[in-house]
Amino acid sequence: MIAWARPAVCAALAGIAAALPAAEAPALHWLRSAAPPVVEAVGVPAETLRRLGPAPVDDAVWPSILAVYAEQAGETATPPMAGTWSMASGRLRFEPRFPPVRGVRYRAELRLPGAAPVLAFFTLPADTMTPTTAVERVFPSAAMLPENQLKFYVQFSAPMSRGGTYGQVQIRDAAGRVIELPFLELDEELWDPSMTRLTLLIDPGRIKRGVKPLEDIGPVFEEGNSYSLVVGADCRDAEGRPLRAAFEKTFRIAAADRTPPDPLRWTISAPAAGTRTTLAVEFGEPLEQALALRLIRVVGLKGGRRALAGEATLTHEERGWRFSPEQPWTRGRHALEIETTIEDLAGNNVGKPFDVDLFEKVDRRDEVRRVTVEFEVK
Amino acid sequence: MKKFLPLISLGALALALLVPSARAGLTSDMKEGKPAFRAMSQLAFGPEGVLFIADTRAAAIIAIATGDTQPASGSAPIKAEAIDQKIAALLGTKPDQIIIEDLAVNPISRRAYLAVSRGKGPDATPVLVRVNAAGQPEIVALDRVRFARADLPNPAADTAPEPGKKQQNRRLEAITDIAYIDGKVLVAGLSNEEFASTLRAIPFPFKAVDRGTAVEIYHGAHGAFETRAPVRTFVPYKVGQEQQILAAYTCTPLVQFALDDLKPGAKIRGKTIAEFGNRNRPLDIVVYQKDGKDFLLMANSARGVIKVAADQITGAAPIMTKVGDTEGLKFEKLDWAGVNRLALLDARHALVLRSGGAGQASMLETLALP
Repeated sequence: MIAWARPAVCAALAGIAAALPAAEAPALHWLRSAAPPVVEAVGVPAETLRRLGPAPVDDAVWPSILAVYAEQAGETATPPMAGTWSMASGRLRFEPRFPPVRGVRYRAELRLPGAAPVLAFFTLPADTMTPTTAVERVFPSAAMLPENQLKFYVQFSAPMSRGGTYGQVQIRDAAGRVIELPFLELDEELWDPSMTRLTLLIDPGRIKRGVKPLEDIGPVFEEGNSYSLVVGADCRDAEGRPLRAAFEKTFRIAAADRTPPDPLRWTISAPAAGTRTTLAVEFGEPLEQALALRLIRVVGLKGGRRALAGEATLTHEERGWRFSPEQPWTRGRHALEIETTIEDLAGNNVGKPFDVDLFEKVDRRDEVRRVTVEFEVK
Repeated sequence: MKKFLPLISLGALALALLVPSARAGLTSDMKEGKPAFRAMSQLAFGPEGVLFIADTRAAAIIAIATGDTQPASGSAPIKAEAIDQKIAALLGTKPDQIIIEDLAVNPISRRAYLAVSRGKGPDATPVLVRVNAAGQPEIVALDRVRFARADLPNPAADTAPEPGKKQQNRRLEAITDIAYIDGKVLVAGLSNEEFASTLRAIPFPFKAVDRGTAVEIYHGAHGAFETRAPVRTFVPYKVGQEQQILAAYTCTPLVQFALDDLKPGAKIRGKTIAEFGNRNRPLDIVVYQKDGKDFLLMANSARGVIKVAADQITGAAPIMTKVGDTEGLKFEKLDWAGVNRLALLDARHALVLRSGGAGQASMLETLALP
């Protein structure tokens, strides 16, 4: 990590250093205005600077003279911080590779032969840690979920931290007892790119199938019971702050849903031509929120198939889909195009139930990638 | 012109025969520069010091020519106490503000590489760290390296872009494990939206990345086909003449797939050959040889490190009925506590990342293969 200056430049610098008055006492300064803050050593003897200059010295030489340590709690010998060293106007300079973080004391050390080490410390002001982030909502929105409910989305108001999240989310039964290991835990954790939405998958091995009880650990949800999804306040946002409050969503469990969603049975309220009236689609059941927003589009069929621009939203607990076109509707045939990977709350896809049980013998249809449902704008 | 063509072709052929194809293959097509990373999650080494790094936030695999191709002299054990504190110190932060994502050993130099996140939020900085002989971490500079990149297709982007659509794409393909075998990078993944598990074989040097293969298993502990659970960790392993993949899932079936069956868009069914027990997540799996016999070593979240004699795999009966706790391949539990990551250091040693429990420091340690 040492940035070697070109030998000619170094030789010139060493020359300047040699010409400097030797009276200046060695000292270390943190330049706090730099981003990230850098350390400068002054009063380094010309002989030392010369040794560091053009000669191809070992990597270990620079940090043995000037180094910054991010102090750790333990007794273990820890390496100095990574960064780059340089020399200018007879000063030695160290630029840390990473910005400082709160809660760490940075110790700069200047060690010159035959002299006591010179130390200089840098600490960022402590954070107030006043919580500002909260759970905004949880999908599905419905208060009644199928026994084979597959997935939850937790939407936070600000970016969150990764690692240890599963320790902060729980499913509890009506008596407040914590259900053991309900989620499919992945080290990576399933966040969206902004890290404001967490995907929680119910362990598919813990979803009850048919009438057979699961041995050993048992199902997460059972029909007729109430449960809560609890997000603990100690879930940390990206700044390391806890949440403003714990969050709880309570719901009841209905019978398992093993019926794949069928777009041919959706009701479509076609808007009138010449208007920008919202197109209304009713699913007849709640669908999985993210996929329902992403995998349905409206196409015009007159004069070639083309996708319409507009904004899609979900309504009444993800049972309905609304589409506001950017341009007024034109008369003629239109269609909804639905990717078959759209899911209901139990993860059933179009034409395919979530899990094929050995004993239920459900036939798999060939994979259809897209279903088209036509409607007429008059 | 025409009559000279055969001569030129023969010349080219002669030239091609003179140039060893392996040398021309792996790194010659790479470009030099600074590869962009949003995250570094899984690591896997290929030949010639090529390190594959999964960027799970960008859904991409980046191959780096590390240049670390000097063969190790002898067999020096790696030991690094409080490795999380040492890395935190190097990166100027606290141990609770880093995540050690994965561990890999370069099979040529026997040096240990760690994928590390500095920070835990969306602005976390990915850092590649190497552990030196003294057990100290150092940053692997990636400012100017030879590299190649393969982006995994994102189905959200596959659908026709609706003009003026305001919704951002929130879908991500989380990568759960990667491995290199015979000119292919194998990638196991899972989406954060639709529940579907894929296993891809990406030819290396990289060309187009296919749609992936949907994999389906029989999970004896659950008595059902689990069509879409994600592969958590896997290892390539040759059974007879056929290259196979041994993949471990949560709760904890071990499933065998033929590499040749991984065809784009296909849906394949693996053969479940073991159930290693419930309430457990497999973490890492490796294959090694001892006294002329092959063994599997698998680290687990709840069931410790287990050793399996690989000669049981040939002719293993598929598990097709519901089982109680464990079934299939016989295994032995080792006395290796707290192992979070497991890699082969050399023919006789494993390198493990061990946690000392809640709030305790982690360490890198060399253990003799059992």
